[in-house]
Amino acid sequence: MSLWVDKYRPTSLAKLDYHKEQANKLKNLVQCGDFPHLLVYGPSGAGKKTRIMCLLRELYGAGVEKLRIEHQSITAPSKKKIEINTVASNYHLEVNPSDAGNSDRVVIQELIKTMAQSQQIQSSTQREFKVVLLTEVDRLTKDAQHALRRTMEKYMSTCRLILCCNSMSKVISPIRSRCLAVRVPLPSVEEVCSVLTGICKKEGLLLPAELARQIAERSGRNLRKALLMCEACRVQQYPFSADQEIPETDWEVYLRETANAIVSQQSPQRLLEVRARLYELLTHCIPPEVIMRGLVTELLGNCDGHLKGEVVQMAAHYEHRLQMGSKAIYHLEAFVAKFMAIYKKFMEDGLDNLMF
Amino acid sequence: MSKLSLRGTASSGKLNSWVEPSFGGLTESSGLSDFSQKKGQRSGEGKGKGQLFGSDTSSKRPKKRRADSGASDFRSLCIEVSPDDQDEPWVDKHRPCSQAELAVHKKKIEEVENWIRTHLDSKTIHKGGTILLLTGPSGCGKTATVRVLAKELDYQIQEWTNPSIVSEFRTDDSSFKDTFDPNSRFNSFQGTSQTGAFQEFLLRANKYNCLQMSGDSLATDRKIILVEDFPNQFYRKPTCLHDILRRFVRTGRCPLVFIVSDSLSGDRGSRLLFPKEVQEELKISNVSFNPIAPTSTMKVLSRIVAIEAGKSGGTISAPDKAALELLCSGSSGDIRSAINSLQFSSLTDHSLEKSLWAAKKGKSTAASRKAGPKPKAKSRSSRSVDTLEGSQAIGGKDASLFLFRALGKILYCKRESFEASEVPRLPGHLSEHQRDKLLVDPEVVVERSHMSGEFFTLYLQQNYVDFFSDVDDVARASDYLSDADCLTAEWSSRSTMLGYGSSVATRGLIHANSARAKADCQSSVGFKPLHKPHWLLVNKKYRENCQAAQSLFVSFCLTPVGLQTELVPYLAKLNNPMRNPAQIAFLQDVGHLPLRKFPGRLKLEALGDKDGVLLHEDSEGEDPASEALHPKETTDPDSGTGAEPTPSCSQEAGAELPMSQPQPTTTEALLEEEDLLIEEYDSD
Repeated sequence: MSLWVDKYRPTSLAKLDYHKEQANKLKNLVQCGDFPHLLVYGPSGAGKKTRIMCLLRELYGAGVEKLRIEHQSITAPSKKKIEINTVASNYHLEVNPSDAGNSDRVVIQELIKTMAQSQQIQSSTQREFKVVLLTEVDRLTKDAQHALRRTMEKYMSTCRLILCCNSMSKVISPIRSRCLAVRVPLPSVEEVCSVLTGICKKEGLLLPAELARQIAERSGRNLRKALLMCEACRVQQYPFSADQEIPETDWEVYLRETANAIVSQQSPQRLLEVRARLYELLTHCIPPEVIMRGLVTELLGNCDGHLKGEVVQMAAHYEHRLQMGSKAIYHLEAFVAKFMAIYKKFMEDGLDNLMF
Repeated sequence: MSKLSLRGTASSGKLNSWVEPSFGGLTESSGLSDFSQKKGQRSGEGKGKGQLFGSDTSSKRPKKRRADSGASDFRSLCIEVSPDDQDEPWVDKHRPCSQAELAVHKKKIEEVENWIRTHLDSKTIHKGGTILLLTGPSGCGKTATVRVLAKELDYQIQEWTNPSIVSEFRTDDSSFKDTFDPNSRFNSFQGTSQTGAFQEFLLRANKYNCLQMSGDSLATDRKIILVEDFPNQFYRKPTCLHDILRRFVRTGRCPLVFIVSDSLSGDRGSRLLFPKEVQEELKISNVSFNPIAPTSTMKVLSRIVAIEAGKSGGTISAPDKAALELLCSGSSGDIRSAINSLQFSSLTDHSLEKSLWAAKKGKSTAASRKAGPKPKAKSRSSRSVDTLEGSQAIGGKDASLFLFRALGKILYCKRESFEASEVPRLPGHLSEHQRDKLLVDPEVVVERSHMSGEFFTLYLQQNYVDFFSDVDDVARASDYLSDADCLTAEWSSRSTMLGYGSSVATRGLIHANSARAKADCQSSVGFKPLHKPHWLLVNKKYRENCQAAQSLFVSFCLTPVGLQTELVPYLAKLNNPMRNPAQIAFLQDVGHLPLRKFPGRLKLEALGDKDGVLLHEDSEGEDPASEALHPKETTDPDSGTGAEPTPSCSQEAGAELPMSQPQPTTTEALLEEEDLLIEEYDSD
């Protein structure tokens, strides 16, 4: 039994549930036999990967679904061995180059080179190019992106690239201009609802529209998250009731408690407790950026309108530093401490105003 | 000739006994030939340290020596050489003769005394050998304490001295030939023989009492064995020593005392020779000495000055109080070097001293950096200041600090109130930044902590919050730490920026603590325990877990963020039976967080008084070598992490698992299997 997310993933462009017009365009793009490099971007959970896989299936037929996971090791010029996992079929290769950290440039160059150098044997029945799918392109180093630009041109005859990322802003403009950009926006609440109801029907479950709507809203229209939530609901309670509690992930609850702890008391001791909680979150694999964003969201809900602007500005400031620096805890802690200071001052001022 | 030898002595502070005849000769302005002859004789001594006390004038010493080892030949020689008081170094002349004269802290003496008392008792003697280990920086009076106590408690000391010539310990001539046999490897031969000799020495010292000489009136059979010199072999193979000690503990009859000098820079002899496990196994008691407090050093120095000045009316210029203070601070707790430099600086012949000085001016500048309460305002050309600085540089040691103290210096940030006239006050709108004068120099503290600035900052970050009482201050301080991290972010400029980074961090922390801005309101904090930084461990776990997540759930083809924040936490809630044990174990561990439980303070590893750098910085975090550097942590990751919740949570959750699922086992063991299992991307 696999997860609903995987089980009911659409496999062809025609079966996609939403953004049908875009799906049609993609279909037309592929039907003429060739297509340019693609840059698919959009928030997570919007269905980028699903769309890309559908596209590849349209292109090569069912063969692309025969996947094998390979563990490749590449030796960098500096004799450093880089281990990386790739997912490949006979026609395409998927890799997340940012796994390789600083040596992503070498990984990209090597992989694309080996891929592009091997020609398809039967070019009459097959396409004459293969596809390399690079995920998380926005997390590539600048170095690797520049290398990519060159590689893209060089192997254009035998190889197409599909780049996949959340935000285009971190992709350098030479790459952007060499690709056809395809934006995959989040599905609307209604679309999420209909997907959820449809899947539940296939499972033989009855999903109240009310609950579907709530899940869609709580998931922030992230379809993957919505489906996972829905499945968690199913585990928690069936038959569904319209007002049932939607299970949240532990870390979200934990983060909210942390935010509450910050708001309820501002003292150095509390800061130490918060630090311990931050460490706890980090050891549970929650990336510091996510922690920062989650904290800000929770804190904003808790504080007065006057403060909001200041808090967001602070958060941006420290988030920037978080990206620059190497030790996340310094910046997370600085943000928390700063918030405590501001909040405390605000509360004291408010108290004074009340008294006089 | 004289200059050459002097340069040698000054550069190595240990060979103190060489200092003496040269200076003595110079004061007396005796002929060079006389001096060099003396030196020639002296050079036979070889080992400076043990000898200092060895040239005892009391009648007991030489006999004891002769009784125990063949090295005593040198002994007699050296005693004959020191015919008059004038020649003797002050360190020997003013050796402490009673507990009252010892500069060591009372508590420490008491500790040692108690140990010796209990273990010298005849009742306990036959139980087996007992071992005491004295550690501490050099010149803090370890040996002196033992000797003074020997006098007072009336026992004898039998000391091991490393044999300098191997054949002396060989009874038969055949071994002597072996030495020159080209086929035998000389090194190993000597090593074993030294070890063997040591073992034999222990055995004999244990079995037989000292020979009673006719002049020896007090015949006590109470004695302790003292080992200060270790055969070199033991440094190479400490297990060798441990085996010998095990045997000794079983069979020994009298107390054995080891004296090991610590150096601050990490490779501590005591840690190498006597690791914790062995100490526990053999029940070795450990007394660790601190550097001598400046006040006690001061007391000793003034006493010596008083005696000497009275004795030699005129030939010795008594240094004034400021000079003595300078000597104290320069010696950084090493009383032996303090006395030596006192003797040197109180010589009258300034012109000679100066010429010597010019020869080695560039050499010992590091030591003179320590900022004592020196009146800077005085003109530099003034002669008195010059000589002060001179003696400082000669007597000064390249001081270093234990990490514990270094952190304390920054966190407690001692200040001194200054007179209003001396420094201009800040204008009104900046008055919140007004701080009293700092007594510490943060850069020097960082430098002396023997640690990279970045790592030091990590220690500070772990501990600073406890020292703050106001949230505003904490916010400012944490901001400075954040600044410091950003400064070192750029890889290419990193080596340059490291210094600035630590500067910003330390100075920022000190400045931000406005509660400790004034010298008069600083006493409020009290003692706070310090802890080792948690971040390294957390960061390592984060990376490990992320990697594990990716390798375990590679079949889902998700980006790391999606995987870690969405899939794994929800999978943990789903009880999906298709997963394999490794995945289940991982989900139980990482997917769940201890909810509705407010974790108290993390269980932290406290930073000991003398702890050196146990953790080493892992450069960029990516290298697996970092694991090797944290042996302590890899063995038990639970000790430091998320307090109790993480392990307990996983156990509870494990119990809750439905029976249909296989019980989780260790993740590592199943990782290989994992690769084989996932062959298909989509099962449908």
